[in-house]
Amino acid sequence: MSSRIDNKRLHSAAWRISLWATLAFALGTSLVFAGLHQFVASDIQRRSDAWLSGEIGTLGDVAERTPKDRLYQRVVGEVAELASREVPNKSQDTSHENESVFFLQAGPAGPAKLWVGKGDGTANLAAIRASQVVPGVPFHLNVKGFRLPFRVVASRIDDGSFIYLGLSERDELRVLRDLRVRFLSLGLLIVLFGFGIVFYTTRRMLGHVREITEAASRIGESDLSRRVPTTEYNDEIGQLSRTLNRMLDRIESSVHQLHTITDSLAHDLRSPLTAIRGKLEVSLSEGGQSAQGEPMIVSAIEELDRLAEFLNASLDVAEARADALRLTRSEIDLDEMMRVMVDLYEPGMSERGLRVQLRSGGSVRVFADAALVHRAVANLLDNELKHLPASCTVAIYLQMERGEAVLTVEDDGPGFAAEVQGAMFEQRVKGRGSSGHGLGLAFVEAVARAHGGTVTASNRVEGGARLVITLPCAPESQEQPGQTAAAVAG
Amino acid sequence: MPTTTSMAYALFMQLLLVEDELEIQDFLKTSLADAGYEVDVAADGVTAEKFASTKVYDGLIVDLGLPDQDGIDLILRLRRLGVSSPVMILSARRSVDDRVAGLEQGGDDYLTKPFALAELLARLRNLLKRNAAAGASPTVLQVGDLELDLLRRRASRGGEVLNLSPQEFVLLEYLCRHAGRVVTRSMLLAEVWGMRIQPDTNVVDVHIYRLRGKVDTEGREPLIKTLRGVGYVLKDR
Repeated sequence: MSSRIDNKRLHSAAWRISLWATLAFALGTSLVFAGLHQFVASDIQRRSDAWLSGEIGTLGDVAERTPKDRLYQRVVGEVAELASREVPNKSQDTSHENESVFFLQAGPAGPAKLWVGKGDGTANLAAIRASQVVPGVPFHLNVKGFRLPFRVVASRIDDGSFIYLGLSERDELRVLRDLRVRFLSLGLLIVLFGFGIVFYTTRRMLGHVREITEAASRIGESDLSRRVPTTEYNDEIGQLSRTLNRMLDRIESSVHQLHTITDSLAHDLRSPLTAIRGKLEVSLSEGGQSAQGEPMIVSAIEELDRLAEFLNASLDVAEARADALRLTRSEIDLDEMMRVMVDLYEPGMSERGLRVQLRSGGSVRVFADAALVHRAVANLLDNELKHLPASCTVAIYLQMERGEAVLTVEDDGPGFAAEVQGAMFEQRVKGRGSSGHGLGLAFVEAVARAHGGTVTASNRVEGGARLVITLPCAPESQEQPGQTAAAVAG
Repeated sequence: MPTTTSMAYALFMQLLLVEDELEIQDFLKTSLADAGYEVDVAADGVTAEKFASTKVYDGLIVDLGLPDQDGIDLILRLRRLGVSSPVMILSARRSVDDRVAGLEQGGDDYLTKPFALAELLARLRNLLKRNAAAGASPTVLQVGDLELDLLRRRASRGGEVLNLSPQEFVLLEYLCRHAGRVVTRSMLLAEVWGMRIQPDTNVVDVHIYRLRGKVDTEGREPLIKTLRGVGYVLKDR
């Protein structure tokens, strides 16, 4: 069980991210440390060398001026001893102070003339003679019997012999070792701490992602109304969850739309189908040939026509709602179209005691799907024709405003009923007295939207309803080849 | 010169019906045969191609949803093979796609299912007629004692000039051109007003009613007859 969790953790993105980040971090700090170490080491050496050069000068002076008598050894020895107390980088611990410095005077051959330091100096002299020495330039010297190397500087004095001052690199190496130890422990601490922070934050972040994944899988399995959790931050994860939620909104509304359509289709199809079936049955039982049978059949056919028409309208609205209307655009003159429309509807209107007026400021060209626009406008006029009480007037205005065609249809009837206000473009919303399917305005709105236009419906202050449709105008003086013509050519 | 029309012209017209649904195939075949057409039936594109390559048809009725291929592709292939007969497209898809619209521009016609049989027959006659008599167009139309002078845009009945509006004249002209044949409301809307709409109100009927008031005045034989659930027909007997 626990190994499974461990395994899971090892495969988690948080683990990998932290590991890589830590690795990069450790590498970076190591580089910084290497640079620092290099700098400190060279600085310590520079100081040691400066000290050596200074002291050898003093010692050389003393050695030259001091008469070579019995006291010589003692005087120079004292000076060398003194110098060794001012050793740079010296530790507080003074127990081995003699070990850190040696002073040697020797000729080109033979034993040492003078030796100050630990031991008898023969090993040192041998080591010096084995290496190449340039006076005044400090050099490294490994001496047999000593664990640590010396930094040595040589100087030639008048009597032809050389004096050598050696400084153990013990202190220098100790400082560097201390530095390394401290840095390593501190670096390790920092790296571990960094790993912890990175692991924690990525885990937290990816935890959100996991929550989103879990929520999304739950949504996929069962409930479309659920949403993935959001964070208050506007970071990538917040954006991801918000985007997902927006997508879910759309999916839910599409599915809801689909449910509404199937529900309403079922509802709207059942009763007419029952009626048609009944009528046909009656006419069949009456013998089919009889005089009563025919009107029954005719009315059944009419009923079927209405059904087909309703089916088409429903699907059109649904398609338009889903922004899936296919547009076959061509340039149409709304002015011309409205004149034909009014011509078509005027007799029907006057039959019902309605007046219709068209006021247009001349040609208004739009680049639109003629069939859809025709049907949308016919829907509006059908609405007026069906719902307006007698002796009302339908006024239609067409004009161009800021590059948009504005078609206003208003009447002086009772206006929109309060109960449908605000939901007029919803499918299936209709006034109480309406006998329609409540698809007309929804279709008009969908068509306008598909063309990049708008529809607003309101009640006029003076009484009556007003509908304003806007459609973007066709680009000026542009020959539109028209998709249909292109399709023929293809 | 005057066009005296009857159902007889449909005789011996050869049609190819491409439809895979048996029910529709059946009733269309029967009805088309009743209307005086000789009909061959193909249930898929391959059979249709075979038929079309062995025989010249006056017209084709093609359903778009064929089992083996898209109806439009079939039509385009037949066109490439040199079949130039007009095509009546039947489609269960509501929104007419661009390609159907394109074919329609080329002189063919389409109907969406469900359609009225009368509508199909009327449009078919229209389609075949348009194809057959694309030549001489008469300047005077005469049906019984109704006479339309197309040049002077004047209609008269029994020598008495009828007071028609330009719109009414166009409507009557369309009815006269299709005298003896059924015209449906959607045909009138498409041909007279140039709109493919299906109003759920009686706007077209009111136009016909008004026209009838001027043409079929009291004491005259009524010429414009209503076929309930179908449309109208103008005939003198």
